[in-house]
Amino acid sequence: MRLYIHWPFCRSRCSYCDFNSRVATQSLMAAYGETLVKEMKTWASLIRLGGQGLRSIYIGGGTPSCMSGEEVAALIDAASLAFGLDADAEVTVEINPATWEAGDFRHAVSGGVNRLSIGVQSLDDGALRRLSRTHDALEARRAVASALTSGARTVNADLMYALPAGSEDAFLSGLEEMSGMGVHHLSVYALTLESGTPLQRLVEQGTVVLPREEEAARQYLSAVEMLESKGFEHYEISNFCKPGHCCRHNLAYWRREEYLGVGAGAHSLLGGVRFRNQRSVLLYLRLLKAGELPVCGAEAVAEEEAREEMIMLGMRTARGVPERTIGGTREELRDLENCGLLTISGGRVRLTARGMLVSNAVMADILYRRG
Amino acid sequence: MDRSRIRNFCIIAHIDHGKSTLADRFLEITDTVPRQKMAEQYLDRMELERERGITIKAQAVRMQYRAGDGVEYRLNLIDTPGHVDFSYEVSRSLAACEGAILLVDASQGVEAQTVGNAYLAVESGLEIIPVVNKIDLPASDAEGTAMEIADLLGIDPAEVLMVSAKTGEGTEKLLDAVVERVPAPSGEAWMPLRALVFDSTYDSYRGVVAFVRVVEGTVSRGMKIGFMATGVSASVDEVGFFSPDMISCPGLEAGEVGYIITGIKDVTRIRVGDTVTGREAPAAEPLPGYRDPKPMVFAGIYPVDSDAFTDLNDALEKLKLNDAALSFVRENSKALGFGFRCGFLGLLHMEIVQERLEREYGLDLVVTSPNVVYEVEDREGRITHVRNPSDMPDMGTIKEIREPYVRATILVPPDYMGGILELVKERRGIYQDMAYLSGRRVELRCRLPLAEMVIDFYDQLKSRSRGYASLDYEHMGFLPGNLVRLDILINGEPVDAFSVIVERSRAHDYGKRITQRLRELIPRQLFDVPVQAVVGGRVVARETIKARRKDVLAKCYGGDVTRKKKLLQKQKEGKKRMKMVGKVEIPQEAFISALRSGGEDKGK
Repeated sequence: MRLYIHWPFCRSRCSYCDFNSRVATQSLMAAYGETLVKEMKTWASLIRLGGQGLRSIYIGGGTPSCMSGEEVAALIDAASLAFGLDADAEVTVEINPATWEAGDFRHAVSGGVNRLSIGVQSLDDGALRRLSRTHDALEARRAVASALTSGARTVNADLMYALPAGSEDAFLSGLEEMSGMGVHHLSVYALTLESGTPLQRLVEQGTVVLPREEEAARQYLSAVEMLESKGFEHYEISNFCKPGHCCRHNLAYWRREEYLGVGAGAHSLLGGVRFRNQRSVLLYLRLLKAGELPVCGAEAVAEEEAREEMIMLGMRTARGVPERTIGGTREELRDLENCGLLTISGGRVRLTARGMLVSNAVMADILYRRG
Repeated sequence: MDRSRIRNFCIIAHIDHGKSTLADRFLEITDTVPRQKMAEQYLDRMELERERGITIKAQAVRMQYRAGDGVEYRLNLIDTPGHVDFSYEVSRSLAACEGAILLVDASQGVEAQTVGNAYLAVESGLEIIPVVNKIDLPASDAEGTAMEIADLLGIDPAEVLMVSAKTGEGTEKLLDAVVERVPAPSGEAWMPLRALVFDSTYDSYRGVVAFVRVVEGTVSRGMKIGFMATGVSASVDEVGFFSPDMISCPGLEAGEVGYIITGIKDVTRIRVGDTVTGREAPAAEPLPGYRDPKPMVFAGIYPVDSDAFTDLNDALEKLKLNDAALSFVRENSKALGFGFRCGFLGLLHMEIVQERLEREYGLDLVVTSPNVVYEVEDREGRITHVRNPSDMPDMGTIKEIREPYVRATILVPPDYMGGILELVKERRGIYQDMAYLSGRRVELRCRLPLAEMVIDFYDQLKSRSRGYASLDYEHMGFLPGNLVRLDILINGEPVDAFSVIVERSRAHDYGKRITQRLRELIPRQLFDVPVQAVVGGRVVARETIKARRKDVLAKCYGGDVTRKKKLLQKQKEGKKRMKMVGKVEIPQEAFISALRSGGEDKGK
């Protein structure tokens, strides 16, 4: 089994973020940390892992690096104590460049973290300001450098494209620099306009102009080309890695394996049921204090729905999906193949890079054309 | 009643010139309707008519009137429809009368339709009583209007009566004039029955109510009758007259006007213009002038929600019960699904039908842009009539396409003459001649393709003359035209709803407008989609809907799965509303807005 730990707190909110995160006081964060441990213990008493320990832990947020390196190490200890931890388990923590000193990296790694994911986003200071990130490009470079020398097995950097007033050149040179520094993994995300965010209001007002669809597509395809030429594997729509450095925890999501999420708003898939925790931190704290699990929204996934999930998740990855899972006639897939959006070979269907860019439409087509 | 004391007359007037108000005064003066019970404009019964200020269904009201000579007369006021779409119905109403009041608004002057109907009345041998109305209005020019009418009819202006239907001034004198000037009906009660059906209406309990003018003979309750044009037989369940409500009586004699009910439920079996005769002693010849109602304008009517097809079908069936001129056949459009190709007398008729379907039956409709009927002669000399542009045969097999023309009369103040002549030219009109009416108005006569009239010609006429021009027209048959069929192809597949017949020289402009419109309305697909306008295999306009380039959920981790599933669910719902044209998914809304905005620039 795999464990996701959600840390919902940030130093400040970014202009594009609609995630479950908030700015909080030290005492609230301390109480939350204790409650996480309590939740893990409760789950450990309820589920049997069949003699195996956790195969991966992923600490995400929010900004988990609001905790110190020691605190992260303590959290890993608690998880290990509750569920057991495989010897070769992958343990990831997400880090905001403006948070950790070199000592935090060292403490975290010696405490069991072996995969560090740095939220670089951009190496263009103007772009970082427009996104209201708390760090600048220099801090980002420093954080990556600290991560690379911390002894962690894998270092990832997140970078965004399709930024307001961001050029293709600036984006590509950022990727190039990260690759040059020696990061093993890159996550490349398009800036997505979420409703209700400050950025969305700015775009509506016309204060901020986002690049057009064609421009965004070009940036992505250039990134794919460049990273592949540098020896990165494009193993999921937004993810690239040097051989042997893919994120096993995330791959589990796309392969529909089970996982338990702890912390406010964390999602789980266990025993064929999808459920999540209460989003409100205060409600989460109160329920666990009262000895209850803060679970809600449980939904058993029916067989047909599970097949649809297999397709929509599997198609995100380079491995694709077996043709027989998709079903239907070859003819319909051929149309998409002829458009250069997917390939069919060895009994598997895979999206091309261009297909990944329009994967929402392609998946809807595959799933519902005959509906 | 003694035939010499019967007067059958109608009122010819333009919309808003006060016909209904005048009729109201008559009903009051004769005590047919007591003043306090008078609903305004009693004769216009349908809600829609009242709102649009037009009369669709002619009616007849019997009034008792003691004239200035002290004698009691029976006056039958026959109401006539006021729009050129219904000119056949007008002619049948006129045929039921011996006289007509020609009513003209003193502030508006003579309008083209009034002229048309006045000539129609003169040709039918009716005695005309010219009247100027609204003399109470400060802006009225009673003298000038009287001069215009005198010019028109070639009479002495002194013969023109002056009234205000609103205040009642002069109306009693007018009724006396009807008694004096309109001849009593001829025809004998002992002759074989010949009665003219000049209109009909439908009562959901009793079936068709036929309005008749008995010309010769007598029709009575229980009598076996036949309709000479349709060959339908029936027995008379009820005979009566309107005063103004239905009043049953034992029979109607030569010269009288009233209604008969036979229990026939199907309005197509009792046609306006048909002659009723007795089964036992039938007349040798029907009354002259019967014509099958001939739809001239066609359009596809489709439900927005394809589930409402059955409702639309039922609604049309019901409308047809009291609208014999409406025709419809089922058709299937690739773009719009199942619907009907409907035939109308004209554009107003079409609008009325559409409005009644929407209002009375609560339907949400898409109506394709209207087209006329084309006469097509192929190389072997065979002639067919094409009512739907997508039925037009391959141009290679066609020798000639002919289109319906109208003879149009336009009345317009001289100042606006230039603009109107230009409009006529733009609309492929053929100028004939013009004449001045009392120096204030020019009467312009021309021929126009009906196809040009069914699309906003009237609106243009009004806007280019600041509302002063008026129009009348009559059909004059088919003339050859340089016409082609234009098809719209989306990704190589023709979309029937957008096929049109256009004049060759305009194919490009039209094609360009439609293709641009569709490019804006059709969402981007996963591949480039060409939108082409094609005439006889040749592309006259082309646009490309570029393929979608980016539509991706960047992050999809543990917590994003539910969100992604919701997104897919939404796409699934969206796909249900899509129409497939070949491999292209098009939301029906796109077709609807393309059709609603019309291929035509309204250019108002």
